[in-house]
Amino acid sequence: MSIISKKSKQIIADPLMGNNPITLQVLGICSALAVTLKVDTALVMTLTVVCVLSISNTLISLLRNLIPSKVRIVVQLSIIASLVILADEILQAYMYEFSKQLTVFVGLIITNCIIMGRAEAFAMQNPPGKAFLDGFGNAMGYGIILIVVSLFRELLGNGTVYGFQIIPESFYSMGYENNGLMVLSPGAFIILGLIVWVHRIFANIEEEA
Amino acid sequence: MRSNSYTLIFTSCITIVLSFFLSIASGLLKEKQIANVELDRKKNILIALGFEQSAKNMWKPKDIQTLFSDFVQEFNIDENGNRIETASIDHESSEALTYFQIYKKVVKDKIEGFAIPISGKGLWSTLYGYLAVEPDGKTVKGITFYKHKETAGLGGEVEKPWFQNNFVGKQFIDDEGNLISIQVIKGKVSDDDPQSYHKVDGISGATITGRGLNQFLKEDLKKYEPFFKKIRNGLEI
Repeated sequence: MSIISKKSKQIIADPLMGNNPITLQVLGICSALAVTLKVDTALVMTLTVVCVLSISNTLISLLRNLIPSKVRIVVQLSIIASLVILADEILQAYMYEFSKQLTVFVGLIITNCIIMGRAEAFAMQNPPGKAFLDGFGNAMGYGIILIVVSLFRELLGNGTVYGFQIIPESFYSMGYENNGLMVLSPGAFIILGLIVWVHRIFANIEEEA
Repeated sequence: MRSNSYTLIFTSCITIVLSFFLSIASGLLKEKQIANVELDRKKNILIALGFEQSAKNMWKPKDIQTLFSDFVQEFNIDENGNRIETASIDHESSEALTYFQIYKKVVKDKIEGFAIPISGKGLWSTLYGYLAVEPDGKTVKGITFYKHKETAGLGGEVEKPWFQNNFVGKQFIDDEGNLISIQVIKGKVSDDDPQSYHKVDGISGATITGRGLNQFLKEDLKKYEPFFKKIRNGLEI
């Protein structure tokens, strides 16, 4: 038996492409628009969400048989909120610059629908191992979109990728200009819309009329 | 369905355990966080005073400390603009002694500017920053904001170079030598305006942040006016 069974692989792979939380379930849009100005902030945000979602799913799954169903949302939220505060404190201590750039959006991970959604829909019914993989997969699915959007925004809006100049000086002297729209949130919205469109064409998904 | 007492006990336990871990984490990280804030404050003083870091050569924490200790002298003045020795400030004395901090940039024994702390209310929050003044005592050398909670993209633009660069070269003293402060206006400053020497382009959508900025800039500059007056009159401080 291989370490990662076929079922586990599917739990991770599914949210990355087929059932991506952003492009298909359209969750977590707010932060996807806000933190995708630069690739590096998108990476830090992805890392934070991966940690929070994997751990929160695992913890909630461990407690799933003890949590009284009447107050389950409250319990889920307090676990998620504690993890997010912890992540914020760690960022402030060890990645101060990023913490300043991400500002409120780290705290707003608490309200990211992906995290609540996975806790309620998956972690409450499945064992810890699977819940961990599901959390990790969904956070990565979210992160991939974040990074793709930020690649476009940083390249078109600033001419750089991960801080490195990609568009050569000679282009600028020939009259090329950075696209100001990409620096603003509507730019992110347009790119996100295009990604959703392209993804749906390739995944062969049709909305019911 | 579980009993009410089970629910109560369970939620209490969860709350206690979670807050316990959070307070431990917060206690352990506190020192490091304070150090970060302090470093960021020094970095902002350096930037206001015109030190530049390039994209290739970003400052490391050690660089900030070295630059700060090599080129920046910190001292205090009283309300008449006279220098007071730090040692003479008795923090425990009952009478509240008013003193103001100044950061002087000295390169090769030549004074290159003074930075003063500025702070005041914007729309949502108190803004904290530094204003640096040229050795002539009336021209702005630079401005930075290191802490605020204004709306990102609107009032939050105060931390962006495009806004801060507008301040450079502006004068807060009029022809007759009176304090006129720097004014953030609504819209763009027109070149024909004879008053443009102390006016700065506003941020669209952040009128109240700009208004707050005008107010506290004026108040803070007033506190330091006796000091800058001496500088303008060529007195050594």
